[in-house]
Amino acid sequence: MKRIILLLFAVCLSHSGLAQDKGSVLITNGTVVTITDGNKENADVLIEDGIITEVGQDLAAPIGVETIDASGKYVMPGIIDAHSHIAGVDINEWTNPVTAEVSMEESINPNDVNIYWALAGGVTSIHLMHGSANVIGGQNETLKLRYGSSMDEMRFKGAPRTIKFALGENPTRVHGQNFNVKPRTRMGVEQVIRNHFDAALDYKRNRKDYLEAKEAYEKGQLSKPPVPVAKNARMDALADIIAGEIRVHCHSYRADEIMMLMRVFNDYGIKDYTFQHANEAFKIAPELRENNAYTSVFSDWWAYKFEVYYSTAFNASILNANGVTNSINSDSGELIRHLNHEAAKTVHYGGTSKQDALKMITINPARQLGIADKVGSIEEGKQGDVAIWSGDPLSIYSIAEATFIDGKKYFDRSEDANDMRLQANPEEDFGRSQQRWYDANGRQGGSCMRGAEMRFTNQGMKYQQSTK
Amino acid sequence: MKDAERTMKYLSSLVTGLALMLVTTLSVDAQITEKATFGKFAITNATIHTVSDGVIENGIVLINGETIEFVGQKAKIKPGYTQINAEGKHLYPGFMDAGTQLGLKEIGAVDVTNDQAELGEFNPHVRAFTAINPSSVSIPVTRVNGVTHVISMPVSGRFSGKATLIDLYGYSPDSMAVSPNAALHLNWPSAVKGGYWDDRSDEKVQKEYEKNLKELNKFWDKAVFYDKMVASYDENNANQEMPDTDKKMEAMSEVINGNIPVIISVGNKKDILNAIAWTEQHPDAQFILAGVHDGWRVADEIADAGLPCLVSTLYTPERDYDNYQRPYQNPGLLHEAGVKVAISTGDTENVRNAPYHAGYAATYGLGKEEALKAITLNAAEIFGVQDKLGSIEVGKQANLFLSDGDPFEPMTHIEQVFIRGYKIPMVSRHSQLNDEYLNRGAKKN
Amino acid sequence: MKLTHIFSIGVAVLMVGVAQASAQTAPAEAFDNVTIHTASGQVIESGTIVWRDGIISSVGKDVAIPFDAYVHDGGDSLHVYPGFIDGLALWGSPEDKGKDGQPEEPGDPSYKRAGIQPHRQPSDLLNAKDEALAKAPEHGFTTAALGLKGQMLPGQLDLFFINGPNTADNLLKEGVGAFAQFEEAEGATYPSTMMALMVQFRQLFYDAKAQRQQQEYFASVASDYPAPKKEEVLEALYPVMDQEQPFFFVVDSKENIERLFWLQDEFDFEVVLVSGKEAHEKADELKERNIPVLASIDLPEEPDWMSDDEEKEEPEEVTDEMRIFRDKQEQAYRASIENIQKLKEAGVEVGYASNGVKLSDIRENLTRLSEEGGLNNTQILNLLTQSTADILGFGQRLGDIKEGRVASFTVYDTPFMEEKAQSLYSVTNGTVTEIESESSK
Repeated sequence: MKRIILLLFAVCLSHSGLAQDKGSVLITNGTVVTITDGNKENADVLIEDGIITEVGQDLAAPIGVETIDASGKYVMPGIIDAHSHIAGVDINEWTNPVTAEVSMEESINPNDVNIYWALAGGVTSIHLMHGSANVIGGQNETLKLRYGSSMDEMRFKGAPRTIKFALGENPTRVHGQNFNVKPRTRMGVEQVIRNHFDAALDYKRNRKDYLEAKEAYEKGQLSKPPVPVAKNARMDALADIIAGEIRVHCHSYRADEIMMLMRVFNDYGIKDYTFQHANEAFKIAPELRENNAYTSVFSDWWAYKFEVYYSTAFNASILNANGVTNSINSDSGELIRHLNHEAAKTVHYGGTSKQDALKMITINPARQLGIADKVGSIEEGKQGDVAIWSGDPLSIYSIAEATFIDGKKYFDRSEDANDMRLQANPEEDFGRSQQRWYDANGRQGGSCMRGAEMRFTNQGMKYQQSTK
Repeated sequence: MKDAERTMKYLSSLVTGLALMLVTTLSVDAQITEKATFGKFAITNATIHTVSDGVIENGIVLINGETIEFVGQKAKIKPGYTQINAEGKHLYPGFMDAGTQLGLKEIGAVDVTNDQAELGEFNPHVRAFTAINPSSVSIPVTRVNGVTHVISMPVSGRFSGKATLIDLYGYSPDSMAVSPNAALHLNWPSAVKGGYWDDRSDEKVQKEYEKNLKELNKFWDKAVFYDKMVASYDENNANQEMPDTDKKMEAMSEVINGNIPVIISVGNKKDILNAIAWTEQHPDAQFILAGVHDGWRVADEIADAGLPCLVSTLYTPERDYDNYQRPYQNPGLLHEAGVKVAISTGDTENVRNAPYHAGYAATYGLGKEEALKAITLNAAEIFGVQDKLGSIEVGKQANLFLSDGDPFEPMTHIEQVFIRGYKIPMVSRHSQLNDEYLNRGAKKN
Repeated sequence: MKLTHIFSIGVAVLMVGVAQASAQTAPAEAFDNVTIHTASGQVIESGTIVWRDGIISSVGKDVAIPFDAYVHDGGDSLHVYPGFIDGLALWGSPEDKGKDGQPEEPGDPSYKRAGIQPHRQPSDLLNAKDEALAKAPEHGFTTAALGLKGQMLPGQLDLFFINGPNTADNLLKEGVGAFAQFEEAEGATYPSTMMALMVQFRQLFYDAKAQRQQQEYFASVASDYPAPKKEEVLEALYPVMDQEQPFFFVVDSKENIERLFWLQDEFDFEVVLVSGKEAHEKADELKERNIPVLASIDLPEEPDWMSDDEEKEEPEEVTDEMRIFRDKQEQAYRASIENIQKLKEAGVEVGYASNGVKLSDIRENLTRLSEEGGLNNTQILNLLTQSTADILGFGQRLGDIKEGRVASFTVYDTPFMEEKAQSLYSVTNGTVTEIESESSK
């Protein structure tokens, strides 16, 4: 057991990165929170080579497989955070209202100590999202929190591509108010989306025509060479959205703007989308249900800006009661440390059942990210991403004791050490170590606006001074 | 450029102003129309968590007007008391959050609704009490979760201004204030670098600290001088020219003489030690530390200095190499060293989460009983209002709430809150929006 | 690497120069009675170097000095080293700040504003009066690939013999590489993030490909075809696309090296890695990809607590957490200092590039490399000379004191790694410059 931590420590230092390690483990006699099939008392979970192979009673450990006694404890699927900015290098390519071409896949920071802190809260997967400064921001990346590995190994293999959209105050403020670039209003936001979708469809047709003509010309079937249409990264991504290859996760707050986007998506035949934050989603729960739209909300954040002033912490419960698949997310390096507790608040506000509350941090976010066939519940055949809790995971008195990804242990409270950073800075002073960009409350001027806010505060000022 | 900026700012504030007017008009149906009731109440069959005197099973609490008249197991309930059968319910003293901006800030990103930060470095004369908005939508949202009292404080500059201690029911600051001037807030000048964005050299950081400390000392010394001068004039003003009034200095009088405490916001170990050394130079004044994320590192020193601490738990570790549990453990470790701790969230619209800060502290070392004190009686004692607040005792103000379980558990429901004897309607914008929209139905409007 | 290609062009350029020179045979010059240190570590005491027309004609003990040679007598106390070569220096570059102000649309800047200027030639823009060019010979440098300050694609790299203000007339080869880095556009401008830089690189290749296609089609038909654009920014990328010119790519962190690999896998360009502070983390893959490294010697400061120079009082006891912190810090420090050694061990070709490091900081860092970085003096000399010449494709011409090599070397009063070593003469492409050191002034 100690070896794992030591090994992790060694990895930190050598940076050699473990290959995508899978493990085997038998966890016995716990209360197994399956999520999809209720709680099973005194049950065992066998994970072999990264996959849950059996859930039952009195299972025998195959030779060489470690057994962990979870008597009196709870075994729960790893928590999935559908909205996170930990483990990111840059968050906002805010400079253009549409930057569909950039991807958080290329902005992963596998060395962020927030990853370990999230593991210590029983989290195994996150949706590393682009920021919300632009109407169509960058593509997101779904990660497994394999702390101590590389950018590539952090990726959740087989997770579908997703992209960030953002409506309302953030994009209109950044572009319209600060730079006189459309959109400055919610009216403009709609047109930016429609214009870009139309352009992408035109591009796709023209590019296809060109490639076909080029081939024909080269084969001698065409006498006149075609005029090249360059491959365009931005248009490709936009066209992929319309083609259903990229799922949209849209930062949004107000009911009207959510309605707007559903109308637009219906016009372009876009499905499988999730409204992120969606503080006013409760007002249009039936419409969301009708469109099979998902929501991923805060448990109780509100009033930090005007568009979340008419919010209610009952949002999640209302959505759930109306049949909308909802998840509870963090968008914060702090909340991600106790998403179990955030989910429990849905019981407090609106009386969501405990089972449904747990779904909001496991199978529901998994559905929204398109990985529900792989994780989000404890079922045979699913990936061995589980956490052992000292008690009912929704209780404030329960503590995550161990967290496994693909059957491999990444966190063990009994062997938890001080200083779990993967990288040390030779020039840093002991008394003031704070290299991460989250503030004490887990936010940097609103995580979603990280980068964008920086430009307008510190760096923006500097910039303005240096140019006229 | 500057002018253009100013114009833009003006325009944008105009726009927000208009937006706010819109809010007011729109919010008519979100007003709380149910009135609080006042009079005589008998709460029976409750599990009473008195805080000051253990737990009473099947207990009775009698409320008469503003005051708790009886606490015990057996009492003859005279006519005229509205009876509340609390069988299976728990009764707790109202929770207090010892550090917030509640009532001062309405919408974080809308500047014109922010009254927590006055311009200037030294503002001992500005008072949170003045700017408390009793109609803040966040107030009902907070109290229905069992938080009945808060310290609300200005936050900018060196001396930010006077914090006020209010309860969360009333139509004016005057009716809500327990102590209009509860404390003076001081942001301790830091001698360490900030986060990754701070690119100052070590020398520069130290230099700036020394300069800031010098300014602080100068201001304090001037206040002491002014106070003496005024006192001596008051004593004997024959043939003396009356000194000019200085509002800032006047405001310091109750501080330097220890009539109200100074809340020192401070986080890093080095800064805490500097602050402790500074407080020792002013034996006549009273001090409280707030924030103290590195507190566990110097818990003994804080205990030796006899300084109480206002702490929270839901933040990320102060240092990148800190153990992940440190924020949760900090209150427990401080308590273990002998420091009196009280919960303060530093929040505004989510002060309602104060019980959960206490809950994490309870889980990670402080224990339920001490955590309960930290959010009730300790806070009252630190601010010298333990005669009125902080526990369920005869003669104290009737600030209490009924719940269906442990209030630190987020799954628990708070069922009835009393503030100053008023039985508070259990509604807030959040519950009203729920009432309106939960069963909106699929019909399109 | 297709450096052979570049090399042959280089030779051609050189041949022209030589041919012209030999038409009017110049007198020879020689250093006599000096200790000669070759790039491979060979030491010739009481040796002689003779050169003519900028080429070393003979080296060794008891070498016959031609009758027409002007002889500098070293009196057996001087040390001669091959001239150092800087694989990427920014000496003489104009400053690149605040250009063009704020674009009207932050997301749609001009190429220039975005820092995309691969067509720029240092030879066109060189400020020959730059102090660094004057100072470089004193620090032992006789050759450098000069680049321009900028962002993602600042321009070409031109190889110059360094000789103070005369450097401008001593261009050896234009475009030894295309300078590239993961450097966001200045201020509020696209690309402002790493992820956008990645896409911007891609989009440039896409656009260059389309432009070239149209140019080819246009050339292939007589009429009825729209004229293509001739965007010089995109045209400057053609040699990179054709592997005729490598990217000299500045990148330090392990993750950014991985990102560079992703781009390389997609577009199949040649790479010389520049700086590479964490390159040892990817040493095996660099070797596999045959990517050489022009390494930075911008070493981190030694943590205060590690230095035993000052007798510092420990202000507090070393707690457990402090010990763990220090262990990690020391590991990180050592890893930085041993970067070059680890790369060499893994078989990666390593040369040297200053890339902005000040000349005055070089000596101290070299000393630390030899004391703590696991490199001996010969390895350090080799790093600064032959290895860098090899990577630049001039390994047969530059980087050593041998017959047939370009006569570029530096004469010191003591072995150069000694703390008080002073350079006395710099010989650049056969031209001797006496160095006025601070002390002799």
